[in-house]
Amino acid sequence: MNRAETLQHLAWLCRNGRTAVAPIIEASGWTELDAVLPGGGWQAGTVVELMPAAIGIGELQLLMPALARITRAERHVTLIAPPYIPFAPALSQQGVRLERLLVIQAQRAEDILWAAEQSLRCRSFGAVLAWPAAKIRDRDIRRLQLAAEAGGSTGFLYRTVDAAREASPAALRLKLQRVASALQIDVVKCRGGRSGVSVKVEAPCSGCA
Amino acid sequence: MLWLCIALPQLSLEALRSEDSDVPLVVTACEGSARWIVCGNPAALDARLKPDMNYTVALALCPTVQKLERSAAAETAALARLAAWAYQFSSTVIAGEIPVDFRLARSCALWLEIGGSLKLFGGFRNFIAALEHELKLLHYSYQLGIGPTLEGAALLARGEIRVVMPSIAALQLRIRNLPIALLALEPEIAGALHTAGVRTIGLLLELPRAAVSKRFGVQLGNFLDRLIGAAADPRPVFRLPHRYDARFDFEFEVKSTEALLFPLRRMLHEFAGFLRARDTGVQRFTLTFAHRGATSTPLDVGLSLADRDANRFLTLVREQLEHFELPAPTIGLGLTADQFAMPAALQADLAQGGLQQSEELAHTIDRLAARLGTQHVHGLRQVADHRPEASWAATPLPNPGGNLQFPERPLWLLQEPKPLQLSVMPQIVAGPERIEGGWWDTGDVQRDYYVVHLSNGSSLWVYQDLGEHGGWYLHGFWS
Repeated sequence: MNRAETLQHLAWLCRNGRTAVAPIIEASGWTELDAVLPGGGWQAGTVVELMPAAIGIGELQLLMPALARITRAERHVTLIAPPYIPFAPALSQQGVRLERLLVIQAQRAEDILWAAEQSLRCRSFGAVLAWPAAKIRDRDIRRLQLAAEAGGSTGFLYRTVDAAREASPAALRLKLQRVASALQIDVVKCRGGRSGVSVKVEAPCSGCA
Repeated sequence: MLWLCIALPQLSLEALRSEDSDVPLVVTACEGSARWIVCGNPAALDARLKPDMNYTVALALCPTVQKLERSAAAETAALARLAAWAYQFSSTVIAGEIPVDFRLARSCALWLEIGGSLKLFGGFRNFIAALEHELKLLHYSYQLGIGPTLEGAALLARGEIRVVMPSIAALQLRIRNLPIALLALEPEIAGALHTAGVRTIGLLLELPRAAVSKRFGVQLGNFLDRLIGAAADPRPVFRLPHRYDARFDFEFEVKSTEALLFPLRRMLHEFAGFLRARDTGVQRFTLTFAHRGATSTPLDVGLSLADRDANRFLTLVREQLEHFELPAPTIGLGLTADQFAMPAALQADLAQGGLQQSEELAHTIDRLAARLGTQHVHGLRQVADHRPEASWAATPLPNPGGNLQFPERPLWLLQEPKPLQLSVMPQIVAGPERIEGGWWDTGDVQRDYYVVHLSNGSSLWVYQDLGEHGGWYLHGFWS
């Protein structure tokens, strides 16, 4: 264990107050992003909020390396109430194994949250992506957070960019926007890490790489 | 042979109703011009309403009493369900007859030969504990008796003597002082015996059998011989059916879903007992809700893994019922299943974590599908077709997967291509990719696809229609 890792571990112990096992980290696959995320990747058992400025800037592409690895590790991924059709050929090209992917169509806000909670609680899921309806209360996010802790999976909530102005109990909140050819990620909140930093990842999402 | 008798004194009532209420409720039957009480719930007993009482008297005693009509068909159905359930404890199950005479309705019973089962269940105590645990879940009033003959076991059950009588001699000694009334004889014979001063079973057994037969009928003589094992007691043995088909008729209307859960719980527990008896599980069963004067409503319940857990069945049914409007009040329930499969949990005895996880996944998917609808929980697969809208498909779970090669594609596809009004030509970064095809079905397309960038950073997948309509369309996002 090097110095940085020791410090990281100590910080974790201070937060949790017991000698709990270190959290499982799934590398995001983007070096620049991993450098600012605590532990160096997406942390299992947490809820992450992603707030893209527009559709089609690479907001899904950001998760693809992690999703590909999760499905290859025999764990499942579910997409709850996606706004458009998750396009099977593209997902397959990104390395996602489709047989470990679930799509759940739900219209009503409470059904979306219920489905997200049920999936997060199930230990077979590595990642749960949900597109909740406009308004989502702190209480609901806390419930999802508890479910994620119980199931050891990571919940990714896609919200509108306006939500970045409000507070939220989610462990990690990222604002996404496209600047020239890169995807700029503003860390709005980061439990156990630094917030307020911005990183740029060169996400070749434009389909013209 | 050692017989366990499950006496069901309240079957007439419980075959029609599986939950108790605080309102005095009696089951009645008509004989001649009068109406008589067959049995009542505890609230009715508290109101001093007794079996065999005239209903007019009962109304005078307790004007708020509610009545149900005795239904021999419902009792037969309930006893058949119970017999299928009981098969898990013994391979020899005998279902008693439903007496026609309402005064004998309370003597209905079910027998299990348990001599061969005791070792399997790990001794007498464990066997009775397991049986009573399961039996309590069904919410029937019952009494147990264990004896060497069928009628002897039934007598011990009715007398609530919970001591095993392994031999005829022990049985005879124990029943000597019991009153004649416990024998559940025809009321006329019981009356005649009473008049003759025969009050206990011991006295009756001491009388010369030939004289008894002559005076009180051959039937009584035969009955006594069967009771003490002096004559054989052949009865048809219950055979486990190959397909499960159970009915529960209420004889009154149930309007709320909540109230349906009581009979459902009992039926699903009985069903689980049947599955244990067959040593199997189900992946699919059908519930039928019968309505008065309307066609009944079927409800298919599917599981992704074969199972036989009544509580899990109930959770799924409840989820489905909450999002399901029954067109009319329900007057009866049916449960059918004809395809059985070994539950996955039992297939691998050397259970590993992987199996537990896949089981957990299956239960989660079942819950999601039960609440949101099966068609709303699906997997994705690729289809070998060049047209983007035809190159994917939703697929039921579990998804076998498969791999195809396509040119680079966007992660989001629109349900329907959206016409674009282009005032300024956006910046084209890739394309065109010509996609033609579909003349073999009705979806003939001729398109040139481009990737364009908008000023806000979005990358769109658009195409120019080369067909007769022309124009530009948005078909996806490079998310």
